Amino acid sequence: MIVSSIPILFIDLVGSFLMIVLSFLSLKLVFKLRKQDRDNLIWTYLWWICVALSCFAVSRSAGHILKNFLLMAGQKPFWDAIRPFSGAINTFMFIVVGAVTMFFERIWKVYQLILKDRQALQSAHKEMLFLNQNLEDLVEERTNALAASEHKYRKIFEVSKDMIMVAAKDGTIVNLNPSGYNLLGMNSEEDQIENRNVRDFLADAGSWSSIIASVESERSVENVELDLVTVDGTRRRILLGGSMADDVDNEEEIIHFLVKDIEKRKVMEEQLAQADKLASIGELSSGVAHEINNPLGVILGYTQLLLRGENSASERYSDLKTIEKHVRNCKAIVEDLLSFSRKSETDKQMLDIHQVIDEVLIFVQHHSHIEHITIEKDYNPTVHPLLIDEKKIKQVLINLVVNAIHAVGEKGYIQISTDLSEPTNELMVKVKDDGHGIEPKYLKKIFDPFFTTKSTGEGTGLGLSVSYGIIKNHGGHIYVESKPGAGTTFTVTLPTALTLPEN
Amino acid sequence: MKLNPSRGSVFTGALMAFILFADPVMATQTHGQPEGLYVHQMAHIFFLISMGSLDFWLRQRNLTEQRGWKYIQFSAVLFIFWNIDAAAVHFLDEHLDILGITKIDLWHIKIENSQGHDSITILYYLMKLDHLLCVPAMFFLYFGLKTILKTTGNAAGDKTQS
Repeated sequence: MIVSSIPILFIDLVGSFLMIVLSFLSLKLVFKLRKQDRDNLIWTYLWWICVALSCFAVSRSAGHILKNFLLMAGQKPFWDAIRPFSGAINTFMFIVVGAVTMFFERIWKVYQLILKDRQALQSAHKEMLFLNQNLEDLVEERTNALAASEHKYRKIFEVSKDMIMVAAKDGTIVNLNPSGYNLLGMNSEEDQIENRNVRDFLADAGSWSSIIASVESERSVENVELDLVTVDGTRRRILLGGSMADDVDNEEEIIHFLVKDIEKRKVMEEQLAQADKLASIGELSSGVAHEINNPLGVILGYTQLLLRGENSASERYSDLKTIEKHVRNCKAIVEDLLSFSRKSETDKQMLDIHQVIDEVLIFVQHHSHIEHITIEKDYNPTVHPLLIDEKKIKQVLINLVVNAIHAVGEKGYIQISTDLSEPTNELMVKVKDDGHGIEPKYLKKIFDPFFTTKSTGEGTGLGLSVSYGIIKNHGGHIYVESKPGAGTTFTVTLPTALTLPEN
Repeated sequence: MKLNPSRGSVFTGALMAFILFADPVMATQTHGQPEGLYVHQMAHIFFLISMGSLDFWLRQRNLTEQRGWKYIQFSAVLFIFWNIDAAAVHFLDEHLDILGITKIDLWHIKIENSQGHDSITILYYLMKLDHLLCVPAMFFLYFGLKTILKTTGNAAGDKTQS
């Protein structure tokens, strides 16, 4: 069969040309793709495919075009000479294209892995960034919260009215708040408490052992009443509670103590108890005095009646005089008891207390040997006249001054001062001496009727009881502070015109 | 790895003996004309297989759901057909006992069919027009790449805008 070769030639030439053109156009596109993302492995792969296809297209199409032109030009021998080279290159290019293509699956897998890793890295980076930012915020927030918390607890520690103390198990004080310093009579800015021992401040150092024993067994100790000794030797009663805690810094167990100063409360309780006791005694005394007072009056009356008919030189007269004297003494005691029980009548007037004190001092100086005793007056000039029973207040002041004179002995120092108390604005009269002081065991009984430390016959033990009754009858108070060997101070408070009710 | 002295000396001795006492042997094989044809046919088959595998993996990875890669798949399929076509033409060209092709003049060829089947002659003639397969294959490759470029360009633009 003879056929036209024109279609074959035409398609061969045009097809070869188009192959070259299209392969290079493809190459250009892949170049652009690679330009967009040079790290994209797929674009690199397509680049190599297109490079191989271009080489294939060029080698094959060039061979075909050359073959056709040489054959048309009658140069068959020449074509025969270069034909093997063209065919070999063409074959080689097939293999290259095929080989490159065969890597598609592997390249795609690697690309997916790269993408996955890249996404994981980006995700991790984002997470890290987010976490980092959050961490900064969180750390800042926590730091602020810690600072606020630290400030809050530091404030509680510093402004607490109770003593807060941190101590080691051996009693070494680790930390103490300002109230603690005050309670121990120390200055928080000047004195160093660290490394001092709790035992140093306990009146009974042995009580520390029982505290530690309780803390070690129960991990805490509650409401233990103890006597504290301040640096100046003053004893103060305290209520101690504490619990064991781990020391964050030293990993050692420490004890946190909360110490309440109950001295004032205790004193008030004792004063109330004393007042109750004295009130009871007063009631009893009042009853007894009333019952005795009338028979004494009858005895005195009849005695005086019998005395009128007796010769003053007779023995009978002398006996009746003795009876009269003792009856009068008994009546004086009864009067005192009535004063103590606040049953005696009062005659109050507006008087200048300073004038009253001066008169008392003049009276005492005339009746006592006080040449070697210094009596100092320290009056507050702003004290106004106040409503008092002159006779009874003088009796109180005489009692206090005479007691002070007895306390200092032949030589000493007595101070009488007046002042207005803050904020009650009551008058305070203090009688202070530097005498031998009063034993603590006697302080509770000092206002009891018939209590005296003097020898029999030297005193009835009614002076301070009567004074107590008189001052109470005036709506005031009487206190005593004393240290053996350091003197005694009696304080009398009386309501002034400003503090008295209008009626 | 450091060689053991005894092993090293044995190896060196053997190498020296091989070089110094070498005899001429028929170590190289001569390659006649048919080998070129076989290699070329094998290359076609290899090209075909590679395109087949590309088509397979494109389907496997669901890349054919994207237009660009779909065109590349079409390109691969056309190249497969082109390889079959080209290998078949080469086969018929080189087996003169089936077809006898004689160039009559510049514009005519004579195709002789020893079997007497004209269909083979017509088929051979059509198969000689193999550029009708490989050129569209290249077109599809071009369009595929162009579509991918456009898609990635848009995606990059969207990313930049966002």
